[in-house]
Amino acid sequence: MELYQKTAAELSAMLRNKEVSSVELTKAAFARTAEVEDKVGAYITLTEEKALADAAAMDAKLAAGEALSPLAGVPVSVKDNICTKGIKTTCASKMLENFQPPYDATVMDKLNAAGLIMTGKTNLDEFAMGSSCENSALQKTRNPHNLDHVTGGSSGGAAASVAAGEVSIAVGSDTGGSIRQPASFCGVVGMKPTYGTVSRYGLIAFASSLDQIGPFGRCVEDVAMLTDVLRGYDKMDSTSYPREYESLTAGLNADIKGMKIGLPKEYFGEGISEEVSKAVLAAAETYQQLGAEVVEISLPLSKYALPIYYILSSAEASSNLARFDGVKYGYRAESFDGIIDLYVKSRSEGFGQEVQRRIMLGTYVLSSGYYDAYYKKARAAQRAIRADYAKAFEQVDVILTPVAPTTAYKVGEKTADPLQMYMGDICTVSVNIAGLPAMVQPCGFDSDKLPIGMQLIGPRFGEQKLVNAGLAFEKASGLSNIVAL
Amino acid sequence: MAITRENVEYIANLARLDPKGKGFDKIAEDMQGIVSMVDQLQELDLGDITDVIDTERKNAMREDVPVPSYDKEEILANAPSVECGGVSVPRVVE
Repeated sequence: MELYQKTAAELSAMLRNKEVSSVELTKAAFARTAEVEDKVGAYITLTEEKALADAAAMDAKLAAGEALSPLAGVPVSVKDNICTKGIKTTCASKMLENFQPPYDATVMDKLNAAGLIMTGKTNLDEFAMGSSCENSALQKTRNPHNLDHVTGGSSGGAAASVAAGEVSIAVGSDTGGSIRQPASFCGVVGMKPTYGTVSRYGLIAFASSLDQIGPFGRCVEDVAMLTDVLRGYDKMDSTSYPREYESLTAGLNADIKGMKIGLPKEYFGEGISEEVSKAVLAAAETYQQLGAEVVEISLPLSKYALPIYYILSSAEASSNLARFDGVKYGYRAESFDGIIDLYVKSRSEGFGQEVQRRIMLGTYVLSSGYYDAYYKKARAAQRAIRADYAKAFEQVDVILTPVAPTTAYKVGEKTADPLQMYMGDICTVSVNIAGLPAMVQPCGFDSDKLPIGMQLIGPRFGEQKLVNAGLAFEKASGLSNIVAL
Repeated sequence: MAITRENVEYIANLARLDPKGKGFDKIAEDMQGIVSMVDQLQELDLGDITDVIDTERKNAMREDVPVPSYDKEEILANAPSVECGGVSVPRVVE
């Protein structure tokens, strides 16, 4: 077995046993990247020189016996909407193509303090707006399982980097499914943690009340380990939750006898492909065999999740992206006539089509005369969705659903029709609306050998239940550590 | 809600986007479909749920203590146009 095929947990053990050095691991990661990156295109920026220097410094610390985190010395990729001091952070946009943040995001401070080695910045849909990674203005990323197919998005580069073995773990962000859907399409594990558990300081804002940073890995244990590094209270994020967290890794337990798992009937009907439904229902059977109790539940407001999501997220995006005006940082148009024209031209030339579409929708739903009918109503409906989930979690421990209506579709198949693209988010957006944690992992393959994912949704701060249920399924199914290409 | 070209241009102006910009015709064309999708929410009867205030969270305030900020040179390094240690813009006041 090559180094690139190993999980982060395995690499961590090898480092502790002195079977390998961090420099060797980092070199192996870049060797694998050199081999596959032409096809996959996971990265916007590679930081090889810095990574090798960081790895050498980490090796010295490990040799000196310094107490470091279990993931110290392990390479990790980071989504390019997370600020990295002095390293380009582009959001895959012409607007920020040359932006070098003067500070590190809190999660970067955490990765650095825990001794992880950043390999580079991964591709995304521009400003994380999209579901296929095709909206990137700077890079084309392809699904390692079939290069004619999309990775999903927006964290498509992160998912692809892990699926192709360029790294074992990655950091992404999820506003309406941006970690979970690409994880599903690329056959890896990804988690969107409870809102408020991972600091958003330094994450370039899309929709602040929905955005959450989270981990990718090829097995549940790696996702638990990386979540342990990422989460924690941060005074720099006013929505960060002031509480202590116990180690998910230490709490891993695959014995799920007696666990109650809910299957919401609304998630298995019209619009979901038969192959996807079948694979997720087969996973429910596996859970029954493992001693869990599977019950049908109802989340009656599910059909309204998509309009609620697109109203709230676009409204927040239109406000957050008002800062990009061609003045303080980012793209400025070359020619303009006065200050207003400077704003208009810089924004119209700097933002891609999908970003402008979201800004337009957001501005519309917040505009005078429409605010009550759209934004205010969506906020009230958000409370109703939360109540729906709260009721469901009185009956069950976790909820099992599909991640997306289909497996990864072909490149270009949905780019012409934005509505069709939005429909693909139907299974993931309500989790962000309710601020809940959810984890995605592979549960099978379709007839074209493309991965099918399943989603486990937990109650607030219920991450331990998710990783335990995920681990139990992973052990029973053997669907773990799948490296493509 | 019917979305006219006039509506679209009005919103574009509010958002400081150029309705004559490259690719904007497609955005204008897609708006009707997207607004119809979000309009589905209008059929939902929420009964007495109208309160949009989030009662679970309180405003998080920090102590009002001055701390060193970022280095001015580093901040200005990202500005598209700098003059005399500040960001420069076209003349605003005649």
